[in-house]
Amino acid sequence: MTTPRTSIRGKLVTAMMLTSTTVLVLTGAALVLYDLASFRQSLARSLATRAEILAANSTAALAFDNRDDATQVLAALRSDPSTVMAVLYDHEGRPFAAYPADVSLASVPAAPSGKGHWFEPSSVVVSRPVVEEGQTLGTLYLKSDLRALAGRVRIFTLVVVVAVLGSIAVAFALASWLQRGIALPVRTLADTARQVSDSKDFAIRANVVSDDELGLLTHSFNEMLSEIQQRDAALRASETRLRQLNGDLERRVEARTAQLETSNRELEAFSYSVSHDLRAPLRHIDGFADLLRRQAHSGLDDKAKRYIETISASAKSMGMLIDDLLSFSRMGRSELQNAPVDLDELVAEVRAAVSSDVADREIVWTVAPLPRVVGDPAMLRLALVNLLSNAVKYTRGRTPARITVGATEAGHETVLFVQDNGAGFDMAYQGKLFGVFQRLHGAEEFEGTGIGLANVRRIIERHRGRVWAKGELGAGATFFVALPREDSEANQDQEAA
Amino acid sequence: MAIVTLVAALAIPGVSSGATSGSTVAQEYDLKAAFLFNFARFVEWPADAFAAAATPITIGVLGDDPFGATLDSLVGGELVRNRPLLVRRYGSVEDVDACHILFISSSEAGRLDHIARVLGRRSILTVGDTKDFAADAGIIGFELAQRRLRLRINLAAATDARLTISSKLLRQAQIVRSSRGRK
Repeated sequence: MTTPRTSIRGKLVTAMMLTSTTVLVLTGAALVLYDLASFRQSLARSLATRAEILAANSTAALAFDNRDDATQVLAALRSDPSTVMAVLYDHEGRPFAAYPADVSLASVPAAPSGKGHWFEPSSVVVSRPVVEEGQTLGTLYLKSDLRALAGRVRIFTLVVVVAVLGSIAVAFALASWLQRGIALPVRTLADTARQVSDSKDFAIRANVVSDDELGLLTHSFNEMLSEIQQRDAALRASETRLRQLNGDLERRVEARTAQLETSNRELEAFSYSVSHDLRAPLRHIDGFADLLRRQAHSGLDDKAKRYIETISASAKSMGMLIDDLLSFSRMGRSELQNAPVDLDELVAEVRAAVSSDVADREIVWTVAPLPRVVGDPAMLRLALVNLLSNAVKYTRGRTPARITVGATEAGHETVLFVQDNGAGFDMAYQGKLFGVFQRLHGAEEFEGTGIGLANVRRIIERHRGRVWAKGELGAGATFFVALPREDSEANQDQEAA
Repeated sequence: MAIVTLVAALAIPGVSSGATSGSTVAQEYDLKAAFLFNFARFVEWPADAFAAAATPITIGVLGDDPFGATLDSLVGGELVRNRPLLVRRYGSVEDVDACHILFISSSEAGRLDHIARVLGRRSILTVGDTKDFAADAGIIGFELAQRRLRLRINLAAATDARLTISSKLLRQAQIVRSSRGRK
């Protein structure tokens, strides 16, 4: 919260000052104008009075043709410096005497008629008839400059200006004092709001200092704070509860995971040791069956010989099964040794290996150019061995057998597929295809342990890839292996077995 | 109105051309006639000087009349303090009856003491243009000084006659003391 550029205090004082100053100045101006107008009139009146007196004093001088006396009467005007000219005219309108004495009678203005006064730009003029006992003997002309008016204007304006300035000072003091009644509660409220927003402490309350709308506002503000405080508390409480629940859940998940991991490890260890330990008795069975066949060959009838053959074959089959299981188990434990792998090379090599056993069959291989990927070469080789040997195995009986290997780049994956025209499978059992010991065909039809595709899936998933298949019973199958692209494989398998 | 116009018209040439020269005697007396008329405005008489409210103010000329028709035409139709003005001419002081302003002509110069004695303390404003008239025998005397017609007033004589002379008129005049042994 920043400090506001203008305060309400300043605005209030300014408003009050503007109002009072305007009123004062207008009042002052009106006063000055009124005073000037009335002063002008009073100036004219006082000049008229002086003219009346002079006229009354001049009657005898006019009546008895006494210019000296008339001049003397007019000379009394010396006491008033604002009188600039006075002329006494005889009844014919001829100048008789003038003031100041050195004014030439020839140069004075023509006699005014009768009684009156008028203003000239810088002077006021009064004319009065000179009357004695009802007889008009002449006319008096009296002219005064307006220096008194100017002086009055100066003094009065000065007084008004001083009064206005004084009043403004008093008004400022009053305004400063009075604004506190409004500005103080507002500032208190603003300070409280700032404090609340700074400290996020909703327990703070503003003091209600006045009984007006501001008091109401403060009261509402406090109620709002109470509301916020309650909601804040509720929010915090539910947050705490949520965190607790979350923590509980996490702890439970951790415990379960640990349990699962433990049992998984136990299971693996168990299956490994079982597989391992089964091999020894199996070797004995196979060895002694072999001995029996060789040494007692002559003494056995055909039936016994066939039994011995079966025992030997079963022991070998079980040995293979155990080997596969051990390798599957290893697959889950051993660490990935990532390196660039040339799929072209790898596929050619594996193809040569798997097709050497079936040289008598007609198999049409179609292998498209394949990209390079990054992965564990041994593991990928194992996966390919499984896929290609499967293709060879399940195309038995097809002449010719057609096996196609290709790859596409889809998004950030390299998808390798192996297609055959073999026995195929029912899509309904698609989910079981990659499970351990899951077999869709009988062992008498197609030999195998049921571990091959499970191994493929385990290998590819450890490479952060995916496997899936499409097929139709009797119409062949296609197996897809999607591996993350080399460039997008920023983080490789970090989860060691 | 017309009469006062005449007064003013006469005043200027009467003064500027020199009142003493023979050719301007008539003009000099025109001015004196106007002054006589104007005295009526600046002098107050006691109430018993008038028989009634409408009794005219009488201007009398004792002896040879130097004014001719001027005085009559001046006062004709005028009102001063609501009183008309009347011009009377007297052959001798004994003829003077209800008179308020009396011009004593220079033809009476030799009889001034007698005239003064006859008039006594009556409320008559005596005016004359003989030398030292105000000091010797009357109340207001005309005098030519510096080619101007000036006034001399014997204030004590005016007070004796119970006449009140306006201070305005007194301002125009030179106040003189009585040189008369009697009184």
